Amino acid sequence: MSVALPEDDELLAAELAFGLLDPPERQAVEARLGSDDAFADAHKRWQGYAAALFDHPGEAPSASVWRAIEARLPANDIAPTTPASLRWWKAGTLVASAAAVVLGVVAVQKPQTVIERVPVAQQASAPMVAVLTGKKGFVTVSFDPASNRMTSAVTGLDLGAHSPELWVIPADGKPRSMGVMNASAPGWAKVPALASSVMAAGVTIAVSVEPVGGSPTGQPTGPVILTGKLTTA
Amino acid sequence: MSSTSSDSDAANLAATLRRVAAGDRAAFEDVYRRTSVKLFGVCLRILPVRQEAEEALQEAYLSVWRRAGTFDVAKGSAMTWLITLTRNRAVDRLRSGGKVATAPIELADDVPDPTPPASTLLEIGEDQQRLAYCLGTLDGGDAGLIRTAFFEGSTYAELASRAATPLGTIKSRIRRALLKLKDCLS
Repeated sequence: MSVALPEDDELLAAELAFGLLDPPERQAVEARLGSDDAFADAHKRWQGYAAALFDHPGEAPSASVWRAIEARLPANDIAPTTPASLRWWKAGTLVASAAAVVLGVVAVQKPQTVIERVPVAQQASAPMVAVLTGKKGFVTVSFDPASNRMTSAVTGLDLGAHSPELWVIPADGKPRSMGVMNASAPGWAKVPALASSVMAAGVTIAVSVEPVGGSPTGQPTGPVILTGKLTTA
Repeated sequence: MSSTSSDSDAANLAATLRRVAAGDRAAFEDVYRRTSVKLFGVCLRILPVRQEAEEALQEAYLSVWRRAGTFDVAKGSAMTWLITLTRNRAVDRLRSGGKVATAPIELADDVPDPTPPASTLLEIGEDQQRLAYCLGTLDGGDAGLIRTAFFEGSTYAELASRAATPLGTIKSRIRRALLKLKDCLS
């Protein structure tokens, strides 16, 4: 199983796996993993040994852990998408951009009429869009009730070391997280069940400023900077 | 290094991680369902306070979601990748308190390595049994130093300062132990 490596390299691979190296040396050694297959194999072997130090069979975490993870998943996936999702993403972005242009114009003229014109009965399966505006930047969101997916795109918003988080606020006034947005690129995501169950024409969609990764509490903790109403496309 | 699960389970977990990399949330939930018991054990080993361990577990899975695309089956098993990532998150959290870096280490040679009793060994995998046996063959506190490095994120320099021992002495001692471990394990 072992490739004959010089003793020093064998040790380096082990030291890297057990976390013994100081950061500068660690980075230099990590760089070798990509270019030196024999070294990478030795490291893989030692990483397996190190992982085996955890000799406890484990135990179940409480159910709230998964709920918290799910609530903190970004609304905009930064992972590469599958071809099928990509098609959806592109279509959704087109709808969102077109809607942004149309709604942007209408909203500037008379925002109230946009909301009032939408018959609630139409909400069942028609795609919905929202343009969120504020003092700076804007965000477009499109939502497909049939698949519970949304696309979102951010324009002109730089929050530095913070994350923009999307919320849906229905008539009861209680915000439900739709997830954290990627401020630098448009993206798509499935809307968490708690939020998608209240997505309907007329509800408010808002963006708040949150710590990186999203609100730690499940409720907005930073200022709300953009808001808009969801409406049928 | 194979784990206790069968090879087909391991291949399946790797394939599921690739779906997570493509943004598949159902696959992500599947990974959580299959691995959270083991990974929570990893967090608890490093962070004995349950709430802290659960928070580290959350962070670990969020990292899995973000970084699944960097998992490369050629570079190791999916379970090892998950354990390594979880260990790193838990150690980050442990060290954010700042106390670990200065906690003294006793280097007495007569400290026996806490080898799990045979009854516990029956419940753990073959790899862990072999490692436990080999760690038991090391001199006195050497196995303890290796565990401290891994479970507390202490580098050579920090181990030396915590054990009030010259860096060179600590390094040569651990390197000797690592080579002995390698001979025993291979």
